[in-house]
Amino acid sequence: MDSLDALVAQVQGFSGTDDLLHLFSLLKQSDELLHNHAPRLQYALSSLDPAKHSLGYLYLLEVQSSGTLSQEQSENFLALASTFLNVCIAEQICLAPEKFNMVCRRVKEQALQLQEPLRAILPLQAAIRKLQPSSEFLTAMHADFLQMCLLAKCYKASLSVLEDDIFEIDQKRTGLVPRDFLLYCYYGGMIHIGLKQFGKALEFFQHAITAPATVLNAITIAAYKKFVLVSLIQLGQVPLFPKYTPPVVQRNLKSCVQDYVDLATSYVTRNIADVKGYITTHEDAFKSDNNLGLARQVIASLYKRNIQRLTQTYLTLSLQDIADNVQLDGPKEAELHILQMIQDGEIFARINQKDGMVSFQEDPEQYNTSAMTMRLNLEIHNIVRLAKKLTSVDEQVSCDQVYLSKIGRDRPRYETEDFDIVPQKMYTNL
Amino acid sequence: MSSSSGLTFKLHPLVIVNISDHYTRIKAQSGSASPLPRVYGCVIGVQTGRTVEIFNSFELHYDATQNVLDRAFLESKQEQYKKVFPKYDVLGWYSTGSDIQDSDMLIHKALTDINESPVYLLLNPAINHAQKDLPIAIFESELHVIEGVPSLIFVNASYTIETVEAERISVDHVAHIKPSDGSSAATQLAAHLTGMHSAIKMLNSRIRVLHHHLVSIQKGEAPYDHSLLRQVSSLVRRLPAIDSSRFQDDFLMEYNDTLLMTYLATITKCSSTMNELVDKFNTAYDKQNRRGGRSTFI
Repeated sequence: MDSLDALVAQVQGFSGTDDLLHLFSLLKQSDELLHNHAPRLQYALSSLDPAKHSLGYLYLLEVQSSGTLSQEQSENFLALASTFLNVCIAEQICLAPEKFNMVCRRVKEQALQLQEPLRAILPLQAAIRKLQPSSEFLTAMHADFLQMCLLAKCYKASLSVLEDDIFEIDQKRTGLVPRDFLLYCYYGGMIHIGLKQFGKALEFFQHAITAPATVLNAITIAAYKKFVLVSLIQLGQVPLFPKYTPPVVQRNLKSCVQDYVDLATSYVTRNIADVKGYITTHEDAFKSDNNLGLARQVIASLYKRNIQRLTQTYLTLSLQDIADNVQLDGPKEAELHILQMIQDGEIFARINQKDGMVSFQEDPEQYNTSAMTMRLNLEIHNIVRLAKKLTSVDEQVSCDQVYLSKIGRDRPRYETEDFDIVPQKMYTNL
Repeated sequence: MSSSSGLTFKLHPLVIVNISDHYTRIKAQSGSASPLPRVYGCVIGVQTGRTVEIFNSFELHYDATQNVLDRAFLESKQEQYKKVFPKYDVLGWYSTGSDIQDSDMLIHKALTDINESPVYLLLNPAINHAQKDLPIAIFESELHVIEGVPSLIFVNASYTIETVEAERISVDHVAHIKPSDGSSAATQLAAHLTGMHSAIKMLNSRIRVLHHHLVSIQKGEAPYDHSLLRQVSSLVRRLPAIDSSRFQDDFLMEYNDTLLMTYLATITKCSSTMNELVDKFNTAYDKQNRRGGRSTFI
């Protein structure tokens, strides 16, 4: 008992910034001590202020939430943890990122256990912001946060986190593991599907597929399945693997998702009946992956794509002809489809209701407004910033040890000028 | 001492180009070891009333050891130029150097038989980046009484530069020193844009000076000058030249077109960097099958 009080007193005393490291080492050693005094932790927690003694509070919270908790205990923990995550001091918790991640994970688990994912959203978002050195870093909590948003169906809440471009990954500061990255990409893509932003969803899934890997994992496979469906909706075909896909993925992925690949091949024939038939026969496969909704959207997108192809051949067309061409049920349905597409901006056309003719038009954007100038200016600035980042990463890779040794190895040995560029010791590593 | 003869001198850029060309040639031929040479020549032009206009120049042969000007050469050259340009007379002579020397007076006196009062044009070939004016000085000879002895001394005269359209083009060309090897479009574009950029920068700084002055007038720190304000007002009203809605539309369309091209260029550059990055990353970190390629990545 005394030692716990002593520890609490130390936490209170040492939480000024000079002694933080000292406090940190003390806390690391007293892990076992904390476990022994589990029942008295509640009292200890109440005597500490999470806003000032964040580090100590963190350790106590972590110990309190380990093991299974009863309903009341988990409610209690969730309440304490939520306030803690909102008010803790960033510098203090940055000293112990793994503990912090564990506490956040417990928060997520308890929220799931209580069937209230909504409660975990705000605390997790605060946690992400506290642990990130800047908005370009990925943390381990990103994946959990997105999962909570998905389960609670509040997609909008996640937008501010999703819109940050991620450039940096720092394992030491954030305690990240590759699984977190893959989950982040997967959940991010799903949220974008929920928001109907298929382009961004494609980006996320592509990141999941092309992440460096030595073996296939389930997350990549699931991401690829969704990737196929979303790319059919958005682009009309499945793009080839980009250059930077790991060869393991390139060779083995297609064989794991045979159903989807067949769907893609039948989509390309643009025959609605075929695609519909295929989906109904393989309904179980899609349902087991929770992709049936997406599959239905694929069918809808095929109609749109066929109508869009008509704009390239015809200048005007009657509604009846459109319905026949696209295999819709009748001119009324064709009119509905086209109206919807005009509203979404996917097509430029005018419907003449008197004689049921649709005339297709060009994009009326003349690019002669100052609003367009501002927009172009902004885009150019963005690209220039991105280009600067790319060149700096490029330089980093060029100076990388592994890269230099590889090119040194490839060059023939008798070229004497190589000895200047590649250091001598590289050859001894072969 | 400045001239009191009341003559106005007008100098054409062709003369300046000739002299500098002559000097550069001699300097290049003599090599860098020997001391800076002096070159000599005659200037010709027209004198009408009080205005002396110097149009052209030609080189003279000067024997430095004997300090004697080659008279025969001068006369033959003079005759030849008289045939082509009957109006032009020998108005004086030129030389290079940083300051007048004593031997110059002898040459000057020697030329007085051709022209009673020749002019002496001095070009200072030392390049001084801080100096904004041309390093050219025109001297006349005047009879002054110094220490009781009447003697001819050089006095400085002011001059203006006068250009004909043809001269303006050639001077412009020389000033930009375009690369002679049929340069690619890229360097020409870069040169053109650099010129634009410096011109705009200068315009910007001058407008800023004017603006600062106007603000201080407003605050009351500088005197209120009506004529200056009128000039500023007329300057400001010069642009925009047209202002109608159709003009705006067309102007913005062209502007946006250029922006789109710039956008495309930046995207292309970005994608090319990305491509190289991916290639490098693949060579560095791909475990299998990269040993076949003997490609170099510099």
